[in-house]
Amino acid sequence: MNPAASALLLTAPPAVPLAAAALHAVAWRRAARGARVPGPAQWAGLLGPAAIVGCAAALASYVPGHGPVTAYGRLLRADGLSVWMLLVTGAVALLALAASPGYLAGERAAGHTDAAGTHRYYTLVHAFLAAMCVALLAANLGVVWVAIEATTIVTAFLVGHRTTRASVEAAWKYVVICSAGIALAFLGTVLIYYAARQAGISEASALDWPTLAAHAGRLDPAVTRLGTALVVLGFGAKAGLVPLHAWLPDAHSQAPAPVSALMSGVLLAVSFTALLRYKAVADTALGAGYTRGLLATVALVTLALSAVLLLAQRDYKRMLAYSSMEHMSVIALGAAIGGPVAMPAALLHVAGHGLAKTVAFCSAGHILRLRETTRVGRVRGLLAQSPALGAVFGLAVVALLGLPPFSLFASEVGIVRGGFTGGLGWAVSLALALVLFAFAALGYRTGRMVLGPPVAAAGPPQALGVTSAVPLVAGLLACAALGTALGPLSHLLTAAATTVGGR
Amino acid sequence: MSATGYVAVAAQVAVVAGGAPLLTGWMRQVRARLEGRAGAGVVQPWRDARKLLRKEPVSPTGTGPAFRLAPLLLVAGTAVVAALVPLAATRTPVSGSADLILVVALLALGTVALALAGLDTGTAFGGMGASREMTIAALVEPTILLAVFAVSIPAGSTNLPAIVAGTIDHPARTASPAELLAVAALVVAVLAETGRIPVDNPATHLELTMVHEAMVLEYAGPDLALVELGSQMRLAVLLGLVATLAAPWGVATGGSPALLALALALLVAKVAVLGTALAAAEVFRAKVRLFKVPELLAGSFVLALLAVVGSYFLTGEAGR
Amino acid sequence: MSHGVYAQLLDLACGVFLLCAVVVLWRRELAVVVRVLAVQGAALAAIAAVLGGHERRWGLLVVAAGVGVLRAGVLPYLLRRALDVGAVGGGPYREDVSEGRETRPVVNVAASLVVAALLVLLAYAVARPLVALDPTPATRALPVGLSVVLIGFFALVARRRALAQVVGFLVLDNGITATAFLAASGVPPIVELGVSFDVLLAVLVLYVLTARMRAAFGGTDLDDLRELSDR
Repeated sequence: MNPAASALLLTAPPAVPLAAAALHAVAWRRAARGARVPGPAQWAGLLGPAAIVGCAAALASYVPGHGPVTAYGRLLRADGLSVWMLLVTGAVALLALAASPGYLAGERAAGHTDAAGTHRYYTLVHAFLAAMCVALLAANLGVVWVAIEATTIVTAFLVGHRTTRASVEAAWKYVVICSAGIALAFLGTVLIYYAARQAGISEASALDWPTLAAHAGRLDPAVTRLGTALVVLGFGAKAGLVPLHAWLPDAHSQAPAPVSALMSGVLLAVSFTALLRYKAVADTALGAGYTRGLLATVALVTLALSAVLLLAQRDYKRMLAYSSMEHMSVIALGAAIGGPVAMPAALLHVAGHGLAKTVAFCSAGHILRLRETTRVGRVRGLLAQSPALGAVFGLAVVALLGLPPFSLFASEVGIVRGGFTGGLGWAVSLALALVLFAFAALGYRTGRMVLGPPVAAAGPPQALGVTSAVPLVAGLLACAALGTALGPLSHLLTAAATTVGGR
Repeated sequence: MSATGYVAVAAQVAVVAGGAPLLTGWMRQVRARLEGRAGAGVVQPWRDARKLLRKEPVSPTGTGPAFRLAPLLLVAGTAVVAALVPLAATRTPVSGSADLILVVALLALGTVALALAGLDTGTAFGGMGASREMTIAALVEPTILLAVFAVSIPAGSTNLPAIVAGTIDHPARTASPAELLAVAALVVAVLAETGRIPVDNPATHLELTMVHEAMVLEYAGPDLALVELGSQMRLAVLLGLVATLAAPWGVATGGSPALLALALALLVAKVAVLGTALAAAEVFRAKVRLFKVPELLAGSFVLALLAVVGSYFLTGEAGR
Repeated sequence: MSHGVYAQLLDLACGVFLLCAVVVLWRRELAVVVRVLAVQGAALAAIAAVLGGHERRWGLLVVAAGVGVLRAGVLPYLLRRALDVGAVGGGPYREDVSEGRETRPVVNVAASLVVAALLVLLAYAVARPLVALDPTPATRALPVGLSVVLIGFFALVARRRALAQVVGFLVLDNGITATAFLAASGVPPIVELGVSFDVLLAVLVLYVLTARMRAAFGGTDLDDLRELSDR
């Protein structure tokens, strides 16, 4: 690939959303002086995610065959893993931004926001997207950290988009826990940088991931061990893994529905991708056993915790949040197992979970507007009141439960198979038992929401608008399609898994 | 060594015993002037002592030997400390046994004797004072030991003359973080040990707040004079110890009588400066509530601990 | 700069740096704590400057100046302003003297000081392999950085006032930066710049959230944050 093309393909994913954010920021200032609510212009917001998907697709056709693409003196770099994650990010963002106009129209109708608020929303969401793209494409692990911390900062006011007590509380916990947690990841990065400098790698490339991965064998084991543990703790906080997971249910239940979708669907996974890169370094320096034990423990504890809390959950947005923790721990378990079966399955799980959770959160936003409650017990008979919404929400949860034909079925089977052949059979058996608990809780509560006669307080039957329905159905179709056949994506998936040791 | 050594020891004890009341008088005078009063004069404590010594010895009925022996133990123990600590000279006949831990133990002996005496009176105030004093002492002793340990690490010995001589040879040590932290911790501990503000107020007889005064409330006549002298000597010795550890310059390491005289003069000057600073600080500070004292002492304990740990990872010489 | 003076200055800066972290746990008045934080920022800048002077890396001196401006100037100033708004300008909250003080921390002060002591010991134990890798005066002081990280983390969880928690976060961050300086003379400038920018923005976000918290809850006691729970 010639330098201009690669520079373009690597610049566009962060640059286009950033430009959109800047335009919205200008409009936000103007809207504060009483300008109109943006109309069809909102759909232009899809340009950002479209650019991400387009660039990712172009890279996907090139990278598996020809190896990583770099730009700006190796500041930006796209290998299989980043292209795969970029594709997932773009797809989820496409769905979330397509669902946004409908969501915001509802908010404005209810008097929760105005023109300025709408522009603020788009400014922050686009900046959020840009930060995630930088986190995926940066080759320097320090820059990756900066970008992931930036996602916390820009989403703080999306989580706290209202000034209610619950909203302020969620935003406070989110910023404090995530910033402090991820600070530990930076400490880990510093320690690995120290080890790299002591191993004779120059200052400029000591945090450069390819260099680091290539020379990982020379790193001091004791320092790398400490650094890796801190990184797992720190990026684990942002990925919703114990022990610093407490922000997740609060933030996800308070954020606007499309933002919850983005956070749950991709932000957790982006942070986990960073963790995978450190894992690749640590595996070379220390052997696979160390990160495997660490990740498997964290994954199982998270899984147990989320299963228990799912059983007791009465709020459906929090229920979806805990389901995110459950799926992140399955992904972490897949990464811990590694190998040619489990690692691609874990990455496929990221994609399937991202799509299904986006549909689930966006439809949960519609349910909240329809019924004005987040209590599971007060939402009955969705199918009877709004058949389309009930069906979409039900199907999204079916996908999250890991039932065929959705791709989560295939990926969970892959992880289990990988576990039994890869020597982590006990962990996988335990995880299966816990997943069963989560399955029962999620299935039972969703059944109560969707089926049965509507409660008396429910309004008249309402149809889901076409513009609202299209992204939801598209997300479900994409998830099902991934589950049936990977098609041209299978090369990319293999390449992505190979990047971080899925050989 | 030889003659000058004995002279040095005798001079130290004499200066401490004779100067301690003057130090207290000086500090009271500084306070009085800062508060706008005329003050009673520097030699007032000696006048008080003379008055008390002329009185007939009286002890409360029902008290036993603990009550009677405590003042003697206090004064004797402090006098031994004054002889051991290299306040003026490092090479004395007793310098071999001038161990920091022994010094701390001797000081603690006086505290315990007084607390037992307070209990022995069987009065409410005596018991209350003793229990408070023991609470504070229990928190102060570990701090003093740790601080002392931190100071002794660079010298590689807990022998006080060795520490002081080492510091004179390597003046840079006094500016090391470990040493500074240890001295800070030691200052807080000394304030608590001698019953000064902010831990205790030596000038109060208010039931709710007094600690040291409550223990010795039943003493009268010559016994009271001894108790007062003992407390004053403790203050003088501890301030001298802090001065010697923090700024050992001038302490005679050789055997020349002229150097010894200079060292004694410098000692008086250093302690007077410290006393002035302490008195001035007491004017501006309030006594903290009794149940906030553990907070203060925990702070000084942490300082001392940081000093010990710090001397392992900060100074290159100890970290080897 | 001769080697002895360099080690002495570095040790002194590290000692002040560590002491400030302990004092943050010791004192309850938030105004004092914020001032101590500023001193700690200055000590951090001094560490960087001493290292830069010793290694004759003038870039590091520029970084030290930047760190000093941010951590001894801008961030304490922001906290100070947030504090003043709560104490004086806040209209209905003028009566509430407890706003400016950490009146009842989750762990009482004496216990938290003892915990700080234990954390320092833990940091010393944890840092042994780091020091062993390359024993120089700078890396030998690495336990200082790690202790400050741990103490900051502890202040973060043991304090109830929103601003005290922010101070804890900043102490944690100072500790990490100090670790970076001591271990490898700081991370590459581009990363350092990004990190500083992130920290500044995070504190700004928390500043705005504190104001919102006052508006929504009438105070900044984090114990009031109990709207969201799994019930």
